[in-house]
Amino acid sequence: MLPRLKRFADVLVGARDAGMGLLGRALQSMLAEQHRYQRGTGLDVWAFGEIYRHWLHELRGHTDPVAQTKIDGARFGELFCLDGDTYFDAPVVAFLGGLPAQQRLTLLLVYGEGFEYEDAGEILDVAPEMIAARLIRISASLADRLSARTPAPAAAVVETLYPEELRGSP
Amino acid sequence: MTELSDELLVAYVDGQLARKQTRAVEQVLDQDDVLAARVNALKHAHARLEAAFEAILAGEEMDVSAVSAPPEEGYFISRRGAKLILAVVGIAAALGLAAAGYGWPLSLPGLGSAPQLTPPAPQAAAADNLDNWQDEAVRAHALLSRQTLEVGLESQANYDLVAFQLSRILGADPKLPNLEAQGFRFIRAQALHFGGEPLAQVLYLGEQGGPLALYAMKGGGSDFLTQRTLGRDRHGQMGRGRHLLSARR
Repeated sequence: MLPRLKRFADVLVGARDAGMGLLGRALQSMLAEQHRYQRGTGLDVWAFGEIYRHWLHELRGHTDPVAQTKIDGARFGELFCLDGDTYFDAPVVAFLGGLPAQQRLTLLLVYGEGFEYEDAGEILDVAPEMIAARLIRISASLADRLSARTPAPAAAVVETLYPEELRGSP
Repeated sequence: MTELSDELLVAYVDGQLARKQTRAVEQVLDQDDVLAARVNALKHAHARLEAAFEAILAGEEMDVSAVSAPPEEGYFISRRGAKLILAVVGIAAALGLAAAGYGWPLSLPGLGSAPQLTPPAPQAAAADNLDNWQDEAVRAHALLSRQTLEVGLESQANYDLVAFQLSRILGADPKLPNLEAQGFRFIRAQALHFGGEPLAQVLYLGEQGGPLALYAMKGGGSDFLTQRTLGRDRHGQMGRGRHLLSARR
């Protein structure tokens, strides 16, 4: 499971070394807070959620959290390289690099990890409907870009870094 | 052209629709080339996303396998970000070992001191190594191999099946000792590796104390095993130096 957790952290923060740092800190936090694990919850669902919550927690400590979520395109692209090879799929990598972290993770959890919408929503602390809404918007946008069709205007959905219950009405 | 929203098409591509809805969409797609092309574009996008995420995972697995590769000249050298990787692998190994109920520290053939009189207390031994726990965890992690996880837990209650699995891994025919009379219940066996060679670990639990672990490596011949025991029963009834895991033709 460790490579999967590392991939999650990498995609979240957009760079391999930063992902390693986040994963190390999150694992230490998991060890310290392991009593929070509830029987019946998938260990992977819990672990992914803990990494995400740890990232959010660290983000809230910054004076400009939104700036912290910006990623470097070149370093993000390195995630997709094997032993210094060229980018695996430049258009897709560029597309992913332009998405907010939560949307990158939504794609990773559903299409990379194969989670159901409910589990992905539990990890990212949003409703399954929000996961579905993100996937529709992102999938349509990527399909448009890859097929060179004129992109549809972005949907007016406001997303924040904060959990659903703390969020104001859109 | 029939109007089907991207919302419905994405749900269809993701397999989120009920069977009846799926059939209805498929009927529409059979008759509408524009919508069929849109579905193909969505499927194509998803396939490329999956492939991109797989590429990341392949890189992570290469990093982890580089860390857990058999040691050369007694040291571990990672390819990239050695210290951070070792720290993370150490944490993960510590989690895994704690969950698996490992004895601690592990006994290795040809290394370490003579067998102890009582099973070691895992917490006490771990506390002694707090200052350097990452190194200890990485050493322990290096004993794990693919085979460790490939021996199914569901087979562990079956002595004969466990012996068969170990015989395939060790290349010899081990006879698992029954230690019920000594107060130790067989829990499980697993395949580790040391120096590139398979290392069998057989774990027992008594009424109290830490686990009793028997270790065996392939010895000098095709049917010869080298054994080492860590821990004894509290009455000291196991013969000193007695071979508990033996090979037979």
